[in-house]
Amino acid sequence: MANKVVITGMGIVSSLGLDLDTNWANLVAGKSGIGNITLFDASECQTRIAGELPVRFEEHYKQYIKKRAAGQMTRVTRMCIVAAKDAVTHAGINFEQMDKTRCSVIMGVVSTGNSSVESNTTPQNTVFKSMTNALSAWVSLEYQLMGPNFAINTACASSAYALASGYDLIKNNQADVVIVGGADSIINKEEIEGFNALYAISVQNDPPEKASKPFAADRDGFVIGEGAGVIILESEKNAVRRGATIFAELAGYGLSSEGYNIMAPMKDGEGMAFTMNKALRDTGIAFEEVDYINAHGTSTELNDRYETMAIKRVFGEGAAEIPVSSSKSMLGHTIGAAGTIEGIITVLSIYHDTIPPTINLDHPDPDLDLDYVPHSSRKQEVRIALSNSFGFGGHNACLVFRKY
Amino acid sequence: MAQITENTRNEVQEVVYDFFADECEVDVSEISEQTNIIKDLDGDSLMFLELIEIFKKKYSLEIELKTIGKYAVKNPVETIGQLIDMQMLIIEHENHILEIV
Repeated sequence: MANKVVITGMGIVSSLGLDLDTNWANLVAGKSGIGNITLFDASECQTRIAGELPVRFEEHYKQYIKKRAAGQMTRVTRMCIVAAKDAVTHAGINFEQMDKTRCSVIMGVVSTGNSSVESNTTPQNTVFKSMTNALSAWVSLEYQLMGPNFAINTACASSAYALASGYDLIKNNQADVVIVGGADSIINKEEIEGFNALYAISVQNDPPEKASKPFAADRDGFVIGEGAGVIILESEKNAVRRGATIFAELAGYGLSSEGYNIMAPMKDGEGMAFTMNKALRDTGIAFEEVDYINAHGTSTELNDRYETMAIKRVFGEGAAEIPVSSSKSMLGHTIGAAGTIEGIITVLSIYHDTIPPTINLDHPDPDLDLDYVPHSSRKQEVRIALSNSFGFGGHNACLVFRKY
Repeated sequence: MAQITENTRNEVQEVVYDFFADECEVDVSEISEQTNIIKDLDGDSLMFLELIEIFKKKYSLEIELKTIGKYAVKNPVETIGQLIDMQMLIIEHENHILEIV
């Protein structure tokens, strides 16, 4: 048996729900999770909208995390723990029956969100709340796992890089199971003002649910989301041995750095195209085999233009035949969590043969002419799908998932 | 040094029991002097520091954490009863706790 890397469990908390099934149902229904900011008083901010978790999360997490530990965590870390425990339950793994030295945790983390929206921070807890390895550390503590355990920060591609690293651990026979994910929340005054100063986020506050409009002519920036996504990566051998449900295979990835600009992507999507080409070349997948691309699709002027150009560079005339959709149209941009959340959506697209839509594409940009799956989800066989993530600083990732 | 009275141990015990009951989400009736802090309550070493801060304020103690740390390394605490005993010694001897033979 080839040492394939397979997905056996997933967990999500996002603005569209606090569990996997609710998220998937809302994504397929084309619902928006964007609303007015409630986590702090945003009335003086240019941007007053975001994709916040349902308010009941602050009660929901108590089923998962003891009070003592919760007090040492930020909201971001708590999101991660909830998604991780759901993913482990979903995978049906009993770590007590496994070699824990071969079970790892890798989390994509931009920051733990120990910002002004965190309350009741005591001096004793400040360090634990701020340290970026907290997410992976707490997950390993939960199950007493003893394999490699670390955090990765590559901005908005962080948890896509985490998936790539988890893939490597299994491929190189360093682990049987890797809990991979990311969590993020930058819904605080400092971050909103900072991104406003960069003209990176939408200021179309009314109505909130219409603001995130990837590939549309009137897009004006991304909408900040928050959430966590966790995937259980497992060696095929281990998954088959314990009779696990296999949702898809992670067939490989392409990673690259642009070495170009701290914020802007490389002109005409050159770096994005290089990354997708690398992913396909390394996995030995032909261009015509790709059935779906879950785009980075941020709703910014440059990303959507360049990503479209990149897809055309890679797939040539065939690009027009490939459905490309942006989950950020519904969830907003979950930053460090986006790579895994969108990875999960890509896996579910394959598993259910259903492609979630790009919503709010009421006024398509005439320059952007791919099939963006506008407005409604599409029932279609998906055997091979790509998930793109591109981060500030030129961190690019393209993950390749295959039907199992 | 703080004045130790007959009531002091009762006060300390009440604070310790309430603290662990609240932090570890257990009923006070489930805590006894024999309760193991880690195994029975899923507690952690930080709780010890937090309790010292509480008693430092309550009894206006002159203590440095590094002094208590040195004492605790040589006299590890596992149970609630042992913790109360150590808090009593801290209250009684403050920074001179290392001089106890």
